[in-house]
Amino acid sequence: MSEQNVGLAMDRDHRGMHLGQEKIAIEVKDWNLFYGSNQALNGINMSLPENRVTAFIGPSGCGKSTLLRCFNRMNDLIPIVRVEGEMTLHGEDMYAKEMDVAALRRRVGMVFQKPNPFPKSIYENVCYGLRLQGINDKQVLDETVEWSLQSAGLWEEVKDRLDANALGLSGGQQQRLCIARAIAIKPEVLLLDEPTSALDPISTLAIEELIFELKKDFTILIVTHNMQQAARVSDYTAFMYMGDLIEYTDTDTLFTNPSVKRTEDYISGRYG
Amino acid sequence: MRDWFKQGEHWVWFSAATVSISFVLVIGLVLLIAVRGLVHFWPHSVYEIELKNDQGKLETLVGEIHDTQTKPIVDPQDPDMAVRKVPQWLVKVGNRDVYGTDFRWINTDNIVGQEDRLARDITVLERYEWGNVYGQLTKLTRDGEILAEGDNVKNVLEDLVSTGQTLHDKINTIERVDIGGINYRIEQLRLEEKRLRAENAFDDEARQAIEAERAELNKQFRDYQEKLAILRDQANGLGDVHLNLAGGHAIQVPIKHIVRMWQPNNMSNADKVGFFFSSIGHFLTGEPREANTEGGVFPAIVGTVTMVMLMAIFVTPMGVIAAVYMSEYAREGTLLRLVRISINNLAGVPSIVFGIFGLGFFVYIIGGSIDDLFYSYAQPSPTFGTPGLLWASLTMALLTLPVVIVSTQEGLSRIPSSLREGGLALGATKSETIMKIVLPMSMPAIMTGLILAVARAAGEVAPLMLVGVVKLAPELPVDLNAPFVHLDRKFMHLGFHIYDVGFQSPNVEASQPLVYATSLLLILIIVSLNLGAITIRNKLREKYKALDN
Repeated sequence: MSEQNVGLAMDRDHRGMHLGQEKIAIEVKDWNLFYGSNQALNGINMSLPENRVTAFIGPSGCGKSTLLRCFNRMNDLIPIVRVEGEMTLHGEDMYAKEMDVAALRRRVGMVFQKPNPFPKSIYENVCYGLRLQGINDKQVLDETVEWSLQSAGLWEEVKDRLDANALGLSGGQQQRLCIARAIAIKPEVLLLDEPTSALDPISTLAIEELIFELKKDFTILIVTHNMQQAARVSDYTAFMYMGDLIEYTDTDTLFTNPSVKRTEDYISGRYG
Repeated sequence: MRDWFKQGEHWVWFSAATVSISFVLVIGLVLLIAVRGLVHFWPHSVYEIELKNDQGKLETLVGEIHDTQTKPIVDPQDPDMAVRKVPQWLVKVGNRDVYGTDFRWINTDNIVGQEDRLARDITVLERYEWGNVYGQLTKLTRDGEILAEGDNVKNVLEDLVSTGQTLHDKINTIERVDIGGINYRIEQLRLEEKRLRAENAFDDEARQAIEAERAELNKQFRDYQEKLAILRDQANGLGDVHLNLAGGHAIQVPIKHIVRMWQPNNMSNADKVGFFFSSIGHFLTGEPREANTEGGVFPAIVGTVTMVMLMAIFVTPMGVIAAVYMSEYAREGTLLRLVRISINNLAGVPSIVFGIFGLGFFVYIIGGSIDDLFYSYAQPSPTFGTPGLLWASLTMALLTLPVVIVSTQEGLSRIPSSLREGGLALGATKSETIMKIVLPMSMPAIMTGLILAVARAAGEVAPLMLVGVVKLAPELPVDLNAPFVHLDRKFMHLGFHIYDVGFQSPNVEASQPLVYATSLLLILIIVSLNLGAITIRNKLREKYKALDN
């Protein structure tokens, strides 16, 4: 670990806290997911704490991205997917019949693996979610754009060219723009699906620092392939394997003293 | 050599050759049409040709040489029946009212003396009727008095012709725009009265209102008639020009009948260039005359462009909405596959079939029903139950629908799913994502479809003949009378104009250059419509280019 990374880990302000002491944002009970007849998630049970960063790690195909996409019902888009179990956001059944999916997605924002800014101006990208809600007041939009870009650490770089096309930004800037776009509508939970896998190390670092900042305001769930990243940014870590949740505890414990043999094998690089 | 084949070099050469052949063909086509068409506008020199006719008599011809050919001729007196190849010239002698025909083929070996002798001081007059006059100016008269004689005639005549043109334009404007507008409103009043009568609502009040308006219109009409009478008197008072023609004829032409005059053999090159462009101007802005074989094609240009624009307005939303449903909402399955196959096959249906469909469905069924429901008072004369602009554009829209659907679908499928997810993840519904992200980004593809559609629709003739195109439309489909675009009117179309002038014309030789000129114009219109669309598409592509990586 570089000094910077060590510094990040040292900054963690609630080391030694345990899940039992946290306020819970999302509660998952006996969660099963099927692709047609293939079961991809097997009876997941977990409580995700508020204003914390929870990382999902595991080898490719273990179901961590699939699980993440359950939190904002992105899997609804795939016709063959079927789910069972219970998932609640602050006690509210996320999969209830009367749940407005669009409204749910406004409460659970998401940033994808590959930066996907819309081919519009930087300003319009950030405003997009607000405009969808019918907010067109120039002052509100201006304030939100500035706040979001500042929170995403992009304001200084783009404040003079808000009208420029977002596609002209670098990959790292685009990803931070996507984060700004997601937080502009003030979601309760922010899902990050391997947000740095397409980025260079410097951009990665910027995003990791950003995640650390953002958890003051948001509950953050992050899927990552990079175990060092999970160790650096997260408070809690869940290790998944073949659709099972193998071990889920605070990050320090999981990385230093895993209780399951398979977790230890994975984090020490014996497979995966 | 073996290596050459082994490395597949011959395939490279083969494909390069194919490309070159296609390229040469395209260039050749455009060049042929352009040269043949543009020559029509260049002032031809006028030659004076002396020749011996079959009876051995001497004869003088004055005219433009328009074509040459070599014809095998068998001399009836020759006992061997030997075939001689004789070069022939097609000479435009004009003066149709005197000679009976505009063009004559002559055998060059009948020519006596010098072959290419330019006629001296020859003047060409283009007339509204009876074609061109080729002759020597002798004098100008007005009411029997001599106005000018000798060298002076040309200058005086030039002024008078331009005065005559101004008068003609004024008369034309009053007839077309002012009186045309009054006629239009009187016709509307007549229909209004018919409608009220049919509804039994034609009471005294309505009668008075209509009568009053009609009286007002009739008064305006009479005012314009008086103005017209004055202008016509002025035109008649311009006088007559007298000319001597070849063959010892003399002719007297009223100046008001002259479109323009020129002396081709005395023109400098700069004059000729000026004449060339003014001829093109006449062609583009003028009305057709003499069964479409002379004059301009303005109504056909207006008709073509209006029809194509309307077609675009109809086909774009239809095609795009259908494509969006098929690729975004419809569930994959046998039915969708069937629909796709049908759409692709629709593109291959001969266009005349669409014409028949348009006539049977749009004109008779839909148009007939509209007439029954809304225009029953106007019957038996049909309003929409007859071929017209609306049905022609709808038929064309149907014809080009597959093109727009297919290219829109391709465009939609190229939008990365990550962007759709990005929209959905921000709380957009599916339709919001499609409207605000997917469709704007598919605009280049939609434009491509539209370009193909426009190119096809502008060039189609066969179906139009059934659903609204006519040889000569009395009114333009677009004018200054509300509602400005008259969907029920029949219209002229460049493609049909080419067919009509080329194949239905009584004066084949005269119409031939017009066919080329009109074809060139049609190509240019399609190209410029396409260029417009391509420019828009490229701008859009530029906007989204960074996405392609």
